[in-house]
Amino acid sequence: MQAALKPTPCLNVPLYASVARLGFRRQFAYPQAALWGLITNLFFGVLRIAVLVALFGNTPQVAGYTVQDAITYTGLTQAFIMALSLFGWTDFMRTVHRGEVASDLLRPHDLLAFWAAQDAGRAAGQFVLRGLPMLALFALIWGATFPAGLGGWTLTTLSLLLAWACGFAFRFLVNCAAFWSPDAVGFGRFAWAVLGLGSGFLMPLAFFPLWFQNVLAFTPFPSMMNTTVEIWLGVKTGAEAWTALAVQLGWALLLFGVAAFVLSRGLRRLEVAGG
Amino acid sequence: MLRAQARSQAVYRVSFALDALGSALITLAEFAAFALVLPRFGSLSGWTLGEVSLLYGLAEISFVLMDLLFGGFDAPNLSQHVRSGSFNTFLLRPAPLRLQIFGSDFALRRITRVFLAMGILAYGVMASGAILTPEAALLLAGSVLGMIAFFGGLFVIGGTLTFWTVESVEAMNVLTYGGRTLISYPMDIYGQFLRKTFTYLIPAAFLSYFPVLHVLGRPLPDGLPPLAAYLSPLVGPLMLAAAFAFWRVGVRHYGGTGT
Repeated sequence: MQAALKPTPCLNVPLYASVARLGFRRQFAYPQAALWGLITNLFFGVLRIAVLVALFGNTPQVAGYTVQDAITYTGLTQAFIMALSLFGWTDFMRTVHRGEVASDLLRPHDLLAFWAAQDAGRAAGQFVLRGLPMLALFALIWGATFPAGLGGWTLTTLSLLLAWACGFAFRFLVNCAAFWSPDAVGFGRFAWAVLGLGSGFLMPLAFFPLWFQNVLAFTPFPSMMNTTVEIWLGVKTGAEAWTALAVQLGWALLLFGVAAFVLSRGLRRLEVAGG
Repeated sequence: MLRAQARSQAVYRVSFALDALGSALITLAEFAAFALVLPRFGSLSGWTLGEVSLLYGLAEISFVLMDLLFGGFDAPNLSQHVRSGSFNTFLLRPAPLRLQIFGSDFALRRITRVFLAMGILAYGVMASGAILTPEAALLLAGSVLGMIAFFGGLFVIGGTLTFWTVESVEAMNVLTYGGRTLISYPMDIYGQFLRKTFTYLIPAAFLSYFPVLHVLGRPLPDGLPPLAAYLSPLVGPLMLAAAFAFWRVGVRHYGGTGT
């Protein structure tokens, strides 16, 4: 048991690929629920657009955003909600609380990579199932705009992947609280509220007062969505966009590093507790 | 029963405090996102932050109190009872069924959200310059009661639907959580179609939008008489009564299948 609980990290690519594929396919199990989810998200989109349009009034541009940009922003956030788990994510926490994590550890794989692969598949599935239709609807109904040219698409895609990476590592880190607290859900609730505000899910960060933007600039939260939106809209282009990507990459590496460290500490604790 | 639930939740103090704080932060983050951004734009189609705070505070107080009371009827909770079969235990117990489900999800942590919402409302009263005469205070209190009954009714309807189907109850979220968000802001921002739908088809505008307009001394839309601002305590209970009528049909159906 002792040896089994300390799996040697091996990068078994075919294994992670099939884990990701399963995570992807699982999202399509309940098409009816997905349809209702889409309708709900669209309705909230309508409400959020109304607030933003009313805020703009007759002002043509605020902080580099036009009304049309604000509408596209709303479409993007509504499209990313499920893929980037902006309402929170407690799957890993649950396996720790239920003790299922112990049997996961018996398998010869790296736990963090395993969950990352599974979540990547889940995110991709949700993006196809809920994100793309949402973007199509926003484009049809409100004329949401798309990235400009091949360069724009490349930057946006890279940024979206990095946003997922930062977001996943952060969510996983929050879930690791389950090793220390039998009731980590409350801690999670706290974290998801901060994520909603700091990632630009509730409002584009550029609209916030400068002091608040400066505070957020020291956190990884803007990298989890706001950066992608700004690159999509072309608010950030060229060298500025590449710098933003570098910041995202930096946070992704750091967060994955911290997550791996905390996970190993948590697992050691699990040994003490579980015997 | 409520006391027992409250006591059990307060046993783990640190965890409870964190949970309560996290709950409050949900309200705070959402409101802060709006409050921090508004100065940049000036106003929300002529509404100041104080004036919007009245609507936002009222909606939040009502919705959270409603959630405390009616949480057991919420579709995800009730469908779990129905699917796991523990709903049968409710039916067997020698206590009124509805009373048992009332407060069966009494999440005490939400109490911080009530306090926060009260703070937002208090700010609204001070900053909007609304003169809080006893009559106005009574009008706002009636608005809260009406909303608790109205949204409670929606929860009961959503819960009742789970006797027939599990999958499509998510549609109720449009009306419950969507409705809460809708009435947190002045309704004139939604355009004619949505505003009229939520005035005459789904009478949500009567709940808090009209009372707040009246307290602010503004005329009601469509030339409605000022009396329409006083209808919240009537509209809400009517919805709740209709919901419970539907509930009785649902329970009979549930008992009928013999599951």
